[in-house]
Amino acid sequence: MRYGGDNRGRLLIIVLVVTTLFLITLDLRGVQVISGLRTGTQTALTPVQKAGSWVVSPLRNFLSDVTHLGRTRNKIAKLQAENDQLRLTLQDRKVADAQLGQLKGVLNLAGTAGYKIVNAKVISQGSSTSFTQTLTIDAGTSSGVQENMTVLSGYGLVGVVKYAYSHSALVQLASDPAFRIGARIAGSQQIGILSGQGTRKGVLQLLDNTTTIHKGDALLARGSDNGRPFVPGVPIGEVTSVNNSPGAVTQTADVKFYTNFSTLGVVAVVVSGASADPRDALVPPKPHPTPLPTVTIYATPGAVAPSPTATK
Amino acid sequence: MRLPAGGFNLLLVVAIIWSALSTPEIGALTGFGAGIGMDLSQTSPGPMGHWTLVLIMICYGVAFLGYGDDNIRGNPINVVLLTTAGVVLSQVAFLILGLMLGQQIGSIGNLIFLLAGSAFWTAIISPLIIKVISYLHANIFGSRAQL
Repeated sequence: MRYGGDNRGRLLIIVLVVTTLFLITLDLRGVQVISGLRTGTQTALTPVQKAGSWVVSPLRNFLSDVTHLGRTRNKIAKLQAENDQLRLTLQDRKVADAQLGQLKGVLNLAGTAGYKIVNAKVISQGSSTSFTQTLTIDAGTSSGVQENMTVLSGYGLVGVVKYAYSHSALVQLASDPAFRIGARIAGSQQIGILSGQGTRKGVLQLLDNTTTIHKGDALLARGSDNGRPFVPGVPIGEVTSVNNSPGAVTQTADVKFYTNFSTLGVVAVVVSGASADPRDALVPPKPHPTPLPTVTIYATPGAVAPSPTATK
Repeated sequence: MRLPAGGFNLLLVVAIIWSALSTPEIGALTGFGAGIGMDLSQTSPGPMGHWTLVLIMICYGVAFLGYGDDNIRGNPINVVLLTTAGVVLSQVAFLILGLMLGQQIGSIGNLIFLLAGSAFWTAIISPLIIKVISYLHANIFGSRAQL
């Protein structure tokens, strides 16, 4: 044994552990001082987060491009062809255009449903060291954002406002393991509970075991009383596989969220829901296959060279 | 900024390296301070003191293993290995304590992926900052612990 410790050392450890257990007990009992400490810390750190987000944005864009290399090969090939033309404005315009696209998507979605929204930029993504999925946005109570409000992207549900500060808010993502939402299947109106799994995949548990669910079914939010925390009709995701174990008490299915949480730049907080439930109006249209062009060659005997004619 | 596979936590890495160079008492105090800092983060899902309790134990353990053994404290590679193991152990302890407190932890596959990512990034980052931390530690506590 290299170190046997002494009474002073043991006393220090005991004091620290007892202090920690005291803190845990106070927090679990809901003492306001503890939550006030966290709120104060976040309020003080918001300007630092904004500055940090601005500083690391070029590196973040670079890393994002690298990690999505395989999935966006076609897009990269197209961009390379246009590289000379865009060279001067690429760095700044790329970020701005992406955010504009996301903003248009959010406005289209909210406009179709009749939601009143507040737009916000994502200023930081929460660390996954604590195994949670969160992000911080630059809109807070001064913009009308309150706790337990639905957060959207152009594709659908992002999450819910967990804490709101004066100029920022912490959003719990739908992929967070602690996230739960009541969902219904578009069309059949079957209901269930969707839970996050820490990834872009969620698990839907149907409440009625006699109903059927199919791969490709779209899921929408059922909505809560007064639209908080969830407004009704928000697209959540699509069923990717169904688990039909004969002995299972309830039927479950894997769901892929419409929103890609790792590429969020602009989101919207729903501050007021629609006057009427939009029902299935927000279900994204299914992609249509692009027809392949066919080429017919007419060969005329005696002609010098055949002339190709392209028809669709 | 979110790195692939979850990235790393700089405060956690610095606290464990600092503990590896310190006495067990200083290690426990370091864990207490770093734990309070991590608990104050709004992204921490647990109650105040969750990370603190974990880091007191882990930093004390790391300091206990390294104290008086120059094979560990005198060799940067051993300090990096000790730090990587300490980071992963602290996250596992955090998960277990979280389960005991009734928290949701998500899918096992995702947890293993995040733990492996954390170990990878810690092993990458630790050698880059160990010299700076060692220099600061030596200036505060004397040159005996400097690598």
